[in-house]
Amino acid sequence: MKRLCFNYYMKIDYSEAVSLCHFTIKCFPKNTLRQKVEGVSIALSPAVPYSIGADSFGNRQIYGRDDIVHHSFSFRITGRVRTGNDAWEEDADEDQTAVFRHPYGLNRAGESLWAYHDQIAEELPEDVYEKSLSLMHRLYHDFNYEKGVTDMHTTAEEAWCLGKGVCQDYAHILIALLHMERIPARYVTGMLIGEGASHAWVEVLYRGRWYGIDPTNDGPVADGHIKIGVGREASDCLINRGIMHGGGTQMQTIEVTVSEEKT
Amino acid sequence: MEQLELLQHTDTVNELLARYGVKFGIYKNNVFKEQLFPFDAIPRVIECEEFSFLERGLKQRVMALNLFLKDIYSKKQIVKDGIVPEDFIFASSGYMAECEGVMPVKGIYSHISGIDLVKGKDGTWYILEDNLRVPSGASYPMIAREFCRRSSPNTFHDNHLEDNRNYAALLRRAMDYVNTGGHTVILTPGRYNAAYFEHSYLAEKTGAHLVNGSELMVEDDKLYYVTVDGRRERVGVVYRRISDEYLDPMNFNPESLIGIPHIYDVFRKGNVALMNAPGNGVADDKGIYYFVPKMIRYYLDEEPILSNAPTYLPFYEKDMQYVLAHFDELVLKDVAEAGGYGVVFGRSMTKAQKEDFIALLKREPRRFIAQEIIDFQDLDILESGSVIPRKADLRAFVLMADEPVVWKSGLTRFSRNPDSFIVNSSQGGGFKDTWVLSQ
Repeated sequence: MKRLCFNYYMKIDYSEAVSLCHFTIKCFPKNTLRQKVEGVSIALSPAVPYSIGADSFGNRQIYGRDDIVHHSFSFRITGRVRTGNDAWEEDADEDQTAVFRHPYGLNRAGESLWAYHDQIAEELPEDVYEKSLSLMHRLYHDFNYEKGVTDMHTTAEEAWCLGKGVCQDYAHILIALLHMERIPARYVTGMLIGEGASHAWVEVLYRGRWYGIDPTNDGPVADGHIKIGVGREASDCLINRGIMHGGGTQMQTIEVTVSEEKT
Repeated sequence: MEQLELLQHTDTVNELLARYGVKFGIYKNNVFKEQLFPFDAIPRVIECEEFSFLERGLKQRVMALNLFLKDIYSKKQIVKDGIVPEDFIFASSGYMAECEGVMPVKGIYSHISGIDLVKGKDGTWYILEDNLRVPSGASYPMIAREFCRRSSPNTFHDNHLEDNRNYAALLRRAMDYVNTGGHTVILTPGRYNAAYFEHSYLAEKTGAHLVNGSELMVEDDKLYYVTVDGRRERVGVVYRRISDEYLDPMNFNPESLIGIPHIYDVFRKGNVALMNAPGNGVADDKGIYYFVPKMIRYYLDEEPILSNAPTYLPFYEKDMQYVLAHFDELVLKDVAEAGGYGVVFGRSMTKAQKEDFIALLKREPRRFIAQEIIDFQDLDILESGSVIPRKADLRAFVLMADEPVVWKSGLTRFSRNPDSFIVNSSQGGGFKDTWVLSQ
C-alpha cells in the first residue's frame, strides 16, 4: 500500500504564433480495485474552457479548442492516488472484451514475430495467467531496452525486428504474442514511481478480470504503478492529442514525477 | 418499349445533363477527371407487384442490418449466440471501436441505405451488396426523370408510373426525424469529390445547407454553422458525405483536413445526428454479407424475402473445399475493396495466377468471399441508333425515419463493355431511369 503524489506536465513551445488549436487530454487516473484516486486538479495554459467526457474504452478525457493567438500550450495535472499491490485491476465488462483479442494497428505481428512465437509456444504453461507471465519473461529476456530507436508509430513487428525499444514497444509486442494465444490483452498508459516519463504496460484478461503486467520491468503491476488509460494499442489512449493552425517548429517538454507521500 | 416517344429525346436529355453538370469525378493516375455519366433513355421497368415484393424484402433487410449494428456496438448477442464469428467483426476494416457504447439519435444507424440487386435470367432477384456508409446515386435518376419529363411530357402522360420526385421529401423526413434542434446541413468534402454534383443537388432539393468542414465548428459539446458574418448557429443534423475516417481528425484519422475536430464527441453526447452513423462499415462488409440472411432470422424471426447470391466463406473449411473444387465457376472478392476493384473471376485467371491466388486464399481465408456467377438479365440500351443488350444492376434506396421507406425508383447502372459484369460507375458505365409502374 502506498499513497502516491503525481504531477504530469506537458508544454509545447511554438516558434510561430498558433491561431487555433484543438486538444484532447486523457490523463486522469481512474479508480480501480488496486488504486483509489483521492483528488485530481488540472490547469491549462492558456486557460480556455473545455468539455469533459469519456471515450469508448472508458478513459476520461477533456477536450476543447483555443482560438486565442498563443505561442505555447501547456497543461499540468496533479493528484494523489492510493495504490495497492494486487495486480487485479478490475472486473471485465464482458461485452467489451472480444475487441482485445484481435490484432489492431500498432500491435500487429508479422512473420518474424510469428516465428518467435512458434519457437517459444511449446514450453508455455496451460494456465492463462501463468502463460502470460511466461511470455512476459521470455520477452524481457529476448528484447532490449533502448531509447531513441523506435518512435510512437513503431509497430510490434518493427520493434521486434530491431530487437530493442521502449515500454511502448514491449507492450505492443507482448499484446501481439498474447493475441497469438487468443488471450485478450490491452494496452495501458500510466506512470511509475521513480520514472521521469509516462509509462506503458499490458493488461490480460484472466477469469473475468483484468490483470496488469509490466513487461519492461518483468513483473505484475504493483503499488508504484498509477494506471491512466487503456486501449487496443498506444494511439487509443494517447495522453494528449492536438492539431493546430500555424506554430512553425514545436518543442515539447514533458515532466512527470511520482513520489510517495509519507504520512 | 422501343416505341417510346422519349427515345427520340435521348440527345436532348444528355445535353441537359451535361449542361447541368451531372458528372462523375474519378481519379486515374492521380489526375482528377470529371466524366459525364452517360444516360440511356430506355428505362428499366419494374411491375407494380414485383416492386412491392422487392419493397418488402428491402425493408426487412435494412431493419435487420440496423438491429445488427445496434447489437454489435453494444451487447454483441449475435456473436455470443454463435451466429456470426467474432473474427468477422473485429477483423473488418469497417468496425470502429470508437463506436462501442455510443447510441446514435433514436437508435438509427443507416438512414440511407443503397442496396444493390441484380435480376437473374430466371427472374429471381439477388442482393449483390449492401451500402450503408455513404451510398450515392439517387440524384441521377432524379434529375434524369426531371429532364425526361421536360423533353417528352407525353411519355409520362401515357405511362402510369410512380413519381420519383419524392426522394428529397423522404430524405428530408429522415433528416428531420433525428434532428436534435438546429440547422440541417449536407457536409461535402468539396468539388473534387466524385459525387459533388449529388451533394449540391440534394442540398437544393431538400433545402439543407451545403457546407464544407471549415464552415462548421464545435464548442461546448455543440455543433455550429458559422455564417459569413461570423455568427454561430446550432446544427442539429449532418448528412455527411465524408467517410468515417475523415470525419473528425481528433477522433479518427489525424491527417484529415476536410473533417471537423471534435464533431464525434458532440455525436457521442447525443447533441447532433450524423447520417449515416459512423461505424456502419462493419455491416456492409463483403464478409458480413454472407451472414445477412442469418441476421434476418435471428433478429426478426422471419425468413429472408430476398436472396443473397450463393456465397461461400473460405474461412469455413467446408466452403474452402468447395471453392477449391469449383474455382473456375466462381467470382472471388476481396472483402477490403470496393467500387468494383478486387473482383476476379476464377475462369479468367492463367494457371500461374490461379496458383498464386490459391496460395493467398489459404494464407488469408478471412479476406475473401467466393460467389456463384449469376447469369443476370441483360437490359436493352440504345447505342448509335441500334438496340443492344448489356448487363445491368439496380441500386434501390431505403430511407429510415420512424419506419423504413423504399424509394419507388432507383439507379439502374449498366456496363458499356459487352463482356463485363461489373457495372460500377467508377468503372465507366452508364445509367438508366428506373420506372416503377403504379398499376
